[in-house]
Amino acid sequence: MKAFEWTSPATINEAVKMLTVASPGDIDEAPRPIAGGQDLLTTMKDYTSRPVRLVNLKNIRGLNRITLNAKQLNIGALVTLTELEEHAGVRKSFPGLAEAAHSIATPQIRNLGTVGGNLCQRPRCWYFRLEEVICLKKGGSECYAATGENKYNAIFGGGPSYIVHPSDLAPMLLALGATVTVIGSGGKRVIPLDKFFTLPSEGDIRRENVLKNEDIITEIHVPVSPLAARSTYLKFKERESLDFALASAAVAVQLAPNQTVKDARIVLGGVAPVPWRVPAAEKFLTGKNLTASVLAEVGKIALADAKPLDKNAYKVPLTQTLVRRALAKAGSV
Amino acid sequence: MQQQQPQPQPSPKPKKKIRVPRVVNGVEQMVEIEVDEDTGPGWGPNDKHTLLNHKITRVDGPKKVTGMALYTYDMRLPGMLYGRILRCPHGHARVTKLDTEAASKLPGVKAIIQGPLTELRFAGAPVAAVAATTPEIAGDALRAIKVTYEVLPHVVHATDAIRPDAPKVVAEENNLQEKAKNGDLQKAETAFATADAIVEGEYFSQRVHHACLETHGMVVDYRGGDSASIYASTQGTFTIPGDAAKELGLEQSKVIASVEHMGGGFGSKFGIGIEGMFACRLSKQTKSPVKLMLTRYDEFVMAGNRSGSWQKLKAGVKNDGTIVALTARQYRLGGIGQGSQAGQPYIYRMGDTYREVYALHTNEDSSIAMRAPGHPQASFAIESLVDELAYKIKMDPVAFRKKNLRDEVYHRQLDRGAKEIGWSRRNPVAGGNPGPLKRGMGCAVGTWGGGGNNQCKVDVTILQDGAVYVAVGTQDLGTGTRTYTRAIVAEELGIGMNDVEEHIGNSKLGAANPSGGSTTAPSLSPSVKDAAIKARMMMAERVAPLLGNPKPEEVVFSGGNVSANGRSITWKQAAAALPAAGITSHGVWRADLQARGVHGVSFAEVEVDIETGFIRPIKMVHIQDGGLPLNRLTMESQINGGMIQSLGMAFYEGRVMDAQLGMQLNPGFGDYKLPGSLEMPEMVPIIDDDDKREAVIGIAEGCIIPPLGALVNAVFNATGLRIRDLPITPDKILMGLMNTTVISRG
Amino acid sequence: MTKSRDRQEDQKQPGHDPSRRKFLKGVGIVGAGAAIADQLWVEAEAEEQRPAPDDIKGRVKVVLDVNGEKRTSQVEPRTTLLNTLRNHLGPAVTGPKLVCDMGTCGACTVLLDGKPVYSCLVLAVDAENKKITTVEGLGSPDKPNAVQAAFVENDALMCGFCTPGFVTTISAYLKKNPNPTLAEVREACKGNFCRCGTYPRVFEAALAAAKASRA
Repeated sequence: MKAFEWTSPATINEAVKMLTVASPGDIDEAPRPIAGGQDLLTTMKDYTSRPVRLVNLKNIRGLNRITLNAKQLNIGALVTLTELEEHAGVRKSFPGLAEAAHSIATPQIRNLGTVGGNLCQRPRCWYFRLEEVICLKKGGSECYAATGENKYNAIFGGGPSYIVHPSDLAPMLLALGATVTVIGSGGKRVIPLDKFFTLPSEGDIRRENVLKNEDIITEIHVPVSPLAARSTYLKFKERESLDFALASAAVAVQLAPNQTVKDARIVLGGVAPVPWRVPAAEKFLTGKNLTASVLAEVGKIALADAKPLDKNAYKVPLTQTLVRRALAKAGSV
Repeated sequence: MQQQQPQPQPSPKPKKKIRVPRVVNGVEQMVEIEVDEDTGPGWGPNDKHTLLNHKITRVDGPKKVTGMALYTYDMRLPGMLYGRILRCPHGHARVTKLDTEAASKLPGVKAIIQGPLTELRFAGAPVAAVAATTPEIAGDALRAIKVTYEVLPHVVHATDAIRPDAPKVVAEENNLQEKAKNGDLQKAETAFATADAIVEGEYFSQRVHHACLETHGMVVDYRGGDSASIYASTQGTFTIPGDAAKELGLEQSKVIASVEHMGGGFGSKFGIGIEGMFACRLSKQTKSPVKLMLTRYDEFVMAGNRSGSWQKLKAGVKNDGTIVALTARQYRLGGIGQGSQAGQPYIYRMGDTYREVYALHTNEDSSIAMRAPGHPQASFAIESLVDELAYKIKMDPVAFRKKNLRDEVYHRQLDRGAKEIGWSRRNPVAGGNPGPLKRGMGCAVGTWGGGGNNQCKVDVTILQDGAVYVAVGTQDLGTGTRTYTRAIVAEELGIGMNDVEEHIGNSKLGAANPSGGSTTAPSLSPSVKDAAIKARMMMAERVAPLLGNPKPEEVVFSGGNVSANGRSITWKQAAAALPAAGITSHGVWRADLQARGVHGVSFAEVEVDIETGFIRPIKMVHIQDGGLPLNRLTMESQINGGMIQSLGMAFYEGRVMDAQLGMQLNPGFGDYKLPGSLEMPEMVPIIDDDDKREAVIGIAEGCIIPPLGALVNAVFNATGLRIRDLPITPDKILMGLMNTTVISRG
Repeated sequence: MTKSRDRQEDQKQPGHDPSRRKFLKGVGIVGAGAAIADQLWVEAEAEEQRPAPDDIKGRVKVVLDVNGEKRTSQVEPRTTLLNTLRNHLGPAVTGPKLVCDMGTCGACTVLLDGKPVYSCLVLAVDAENKKITTVEGLGSPDKPNAVQAAFVENDALMCGFCTPGFVTTISAYLKKNPNPTLAEVREACKGNFCRCGTYPRVFEAALAAAKASRA
C-alpha cells in the first residue's frame, strides 16, 4: 500500500472538499472516500489504486440508517451488508435484496463492507488486479482477457474491456428500480441505478460508473412494490465458501390474480461490465404463466445476445439455468 | 572438549544391513545402513497400550488455541528489520541494470542487495531484496528500485512448450528431456491385440500449491560477532544452521536454529531457501535482526508447487477383467525443475507394460516436493483409466480393482470402504440417475513407504523431584510430533501425559531427520522409545534396593507407581532415589520398532448439478493402515487432512498461467481457491486396525493419494462425463455436457 | 566481501549484543525457545516506550482498546490493524496471523465491538474508539473459553496457524447464536480457511462448545 493522508471529516460537504483536487493527476491516484474499505484496501494493497488521501466517511452522521415507510426503503450508504441482510423489513418486503446481501463474501467482510461500497467495487478481473499488468482499464492499451484466460469474464457488453461487475447488490437493486442519491461538488443529485453503471464503450474506461471523483453516494432508495415482495437473487459460485459470482440472476415478478405475470424484472450479474438487464426476456414473460416451458424459453431469450469469449461459453447454459430457477422460485413464493 | 579416556572395548554387537528412506529436500532416497541385529523390548500388542493407540489431545493445543504459540512469523526482536524480495515481472528476462539509488534514500531503508540470478527464467524470480524498519517501507523500497530488463521469449503452457519452435526455457536445450524408457513396447502392442477392449486417454493434472498458511521465511538474529540465532519456518530444524552459517560467514556450530511451532510445510520447507539466503545476507550487512517472510504473492510464484503432469495412457482389458497391457507416455511438468511423477502403471498389475518418461520444461518456477511427491498425479491418471476399463467391460469397479491388485490388504480395505460409503446404493450406469442433481460414487487405491531411518538421537532425563524431560531437535509441523514424543515416554514410565515435558525444535538438541515422506514418526518414535526404555531400566536399577532388589526388568512402572515383589512406591518416591543430577538416557533408532509400506483405499460420493456444473462433495471415506497408531486422534486428523487436500486438487485448486504475459494470474487466496467450510463433505477417517504390525509407520502421504481418484471417478459415475483435466470445475462439466452429444455410458 | 574482512569488522563490535546474552542467561538449552519468546515480549515492550524513529514521516498516534487495555502506538495511516497489533504494539499481539493480507483467509480475524472482521482489511487509524478483541482476549491456556477448550478436546487444529481466526469467529458466532446447527456453523466460518484440513473437527468443536456453554 502506498502511503497516504488520512482525513476524517464530520460533514459531507467537508468530505467533498477533501476529495476535490485542483489538478488531478492519474485517476487512480486521486483522493478516495473510504467507508468499510473492504474492496478499496485490497485495490490499494495491489497498487491498482494509489490514492494520495483517504477521506473517511464514517464520522459523518446520518449515513448509516435504514428507514422503511409505505412507499420506499432508504438505505444509508454506510449501512453494512450484515445490517442490510438482517433487517426485518428488508427480509419481508425485499427478500431478494436480503438474499443478495447475504450472498456476498464472508461474514467478516459483510460486518464492515457497506452498501455504498458494494456498488462502487472495482473489477475482480485478475489482469486488472495484478500490479504488474497495465491493462486497458488501468490506462494500458490492451484487454488481456479478450484473448487470454477469460473463464470469468464477460459474455455481454461487447468490450473493449471484458470485466464483469462484481457487485451482488447492483443487479438486485437495479431489478427493484432503485435510485441513488449522490452529493458532489455541484450539490445533490438523484441517479436511477440503470443510469449509474457505465459500459467500457460508453463511459470512462478507467471507471465503472458515472461518479466523479469527488462524488459520494449518501443513500440508496428502493420503492416498495409487489415486485420487490416477490424478488429473489440466485448467485452461482465456483467455490461456495467465498467467491464472486460466475453468474447470478436477480429477478422480481408481480403476478396477476390468475397467476400470470403482470410485470417482471430480470437482471444478470457476473456476465457483463454492468448489471445486465434483459428487457426482451421481461417482456416475453408478461401475461404468461411460469410453466416449465415458459421458463426454459425465457432463459434462452435472456441469453440470446450473449457473445462468449474463448473460455466462458459455459456461462450461457449456467445463466439460463439461474434465470429459470430464480423465476421459478420467485413465482412460487 | 572432554579428554578421551581409554575405555574397555565392549565386544561388537552383531550387525545387519538394511535399506531405509532418507529425505533430501522432501524427496525420499533409499540408503543402506547398518543396525544392531539383537533388539530390545518391542512395542507389544497394539491393543495393549495405555496411552499410545488412544485418543490423546495435542499437548501444544492450549497454546495454539489461545494465540500463545509463537511461530517464526510472530518473532519480533529489538531493532529488527523487515525484509522483502523484488520479483521479476517477466516470464524470461535478464537484468541489464539495477538502479537502487532512489530506493536506498528512502527513510527507513537499511539495505538493498542484488540477487544471485543472472538469467531469470520465470515470472516471480527473485531479483533483489531490501531490509527496512517496517514492512510498509520495505514495500516502498521495492517499488523505488528501477530495474531494466532484457526481455526474452517465454513459454508457460506445456502444450506450447512441446512444440519444436517453442521458445527455449534454457538456451540450447530442448524443453523436452527424455528421462526413462521401461518395458517392451512391442510386447505391449502384441498384447493389445488380445484385448477385448481398449481405453486410451490423455490426463492433465494441474500445478497445485502447498499454500502453507505460514509463508516461507525466517528471522535471522545476527548483530555482529561470531554467533547467530535463526527462527525458521521449516520442516527440518537441522537443515538450517549449515546453509545459514555459510551465508553469514560463521561456524556452523555457532548458528542455532529454532522452530517451536510452524504453520505448515507439506514438503516445501527444507533448507534456508532463497528467502533465507536473502535474510542472512541482509542481516549480515546491517548487523541487525532481519525478518523475511514471503508475502502470499511471493509464496505462490517462488516457493514451489506440486509438479503438474500430462500423461498419455493406453490399456487393454479382457472381458474377465484382466488388464493385459499398458503403454504410457508421461510428461513431468516441473517448470524449470525436473518435476515428479510415479511411474505407471503405479500399483496395478497390467500385464505387458511400456512407459516413456519425460521432463517438459516451461518458464515457471521449479516444482518441489509436495506431500507424496509424484503420486497423486500418477494415481489420478491410472485410477481414471482403471475406472474406465471397468465400465467398458461392465464390471464393478471394486471387483475390477481386486482382480488387478495382488495385495490382500487392499481387498479387505476395499470391502470395508464399500460398506462405509454404501456402495450398494450406487447406480452402475454412469449418469443414470434421474433429474438434474446426479449422485455418483467412486473409489481408488494408494500406497506409500512410510519407513524411518537412523537419524534421531533422543535424551530422556529424570530429575530427583520426579520431573521428566524428553529432548530431541525434531519439529512438529502440526502432525502431533510433540504429543506422541511425550506419550511414548509417559507410557513407558507409567506416568501421566502432564508428568513429562518435551523439548523439540532446536538444533542444539539431539539430531533428528527432516520431516518429509512420512519418515518422522518411524524415525523418531523408535529413538524416543529406546531412550524411554533405557531411562526406565536405569531408574529400575536405582530403586531396586527400595523394592527388595528385583532385577530391573521385573520392576513395574504403572499408574504413577513403581513396584516389584509386592512392594510399591510412588513415582516421586522412586525419583527421590536418583542421584542429585538425575539420570539421562540416550536413545537411538531401532529398525525393529518401525516398518515400511502402507495401504490406503478411498471412496467418495458426490452430487453434480448438470445444469450448473456444480459439484457438491457428499461423503468421503478413507481407510489407512499404519501399524501401531501412536495417537488415534491426530492420526485421524491427518487422514482428514489428506482427504481435504486431495479434494482441493480434484475440484478447486490450480495455478493459472497467462501465455502472453508469462505470469501466474492467481497468486492469492481469492483466485487460488482452497476448499473452505462449505466445500466439506461428511468425512470418515478410518484407521485400519486389522493391520497388526507392532511397528510405527508414517501415514501422512498415504492418505493424500487415492481420495483424488475416488472423487474424479465419482463425478464420472454421477454424470457419465469423463473429465481428464484437473481441477474438475463447473465450466468443464458444462462444456463437457455441451460438447458431448452422446454421453458415454457404462 | 571476504570472510577475513568480515571478521575484522566483527572485532570492532566486540561480543554479542549484551541484551541478548542477558535473556539467554539462566535458561538451559531445553526450553530455550519458550523462554526466549517470553523475553522477547518484554524487550519489545521496552522498545515501544522509545519515541518512534523520526526518520519516518507521516506517523500518527493511535490509541487502541485491545483486550480491555488501552494501547498506544505511532503508525503510518496505511498500517493495518493487523500489522499494528503484530509489529507495533508492545508486548506484541500475535494471535491474529498474517496469511493472505487480502481479506480472503480469516487467519487475522479479530472482534471489532464484538463482530468478527479481518484485521488485515482495517486500518489502525480506523480502529480507534472500538473494542478490539483478539484470540488472546478470549481465554488463556489455563483458562480457555468454551470454544478454545473444545478445539483442544476435538483436535480441531493441526499446524494451528488458522486456529486463532477460527476460534475468534466461532466464539463471536456462538454469542449470536448459542444453539447452532451444523449448517449454521459451516456458514459462520466460511470466511476462515485451513490448509491442514481441520474443518470436520472445527465443526465438531463448535457444536461441542455450544453444548458445553448451554450446560
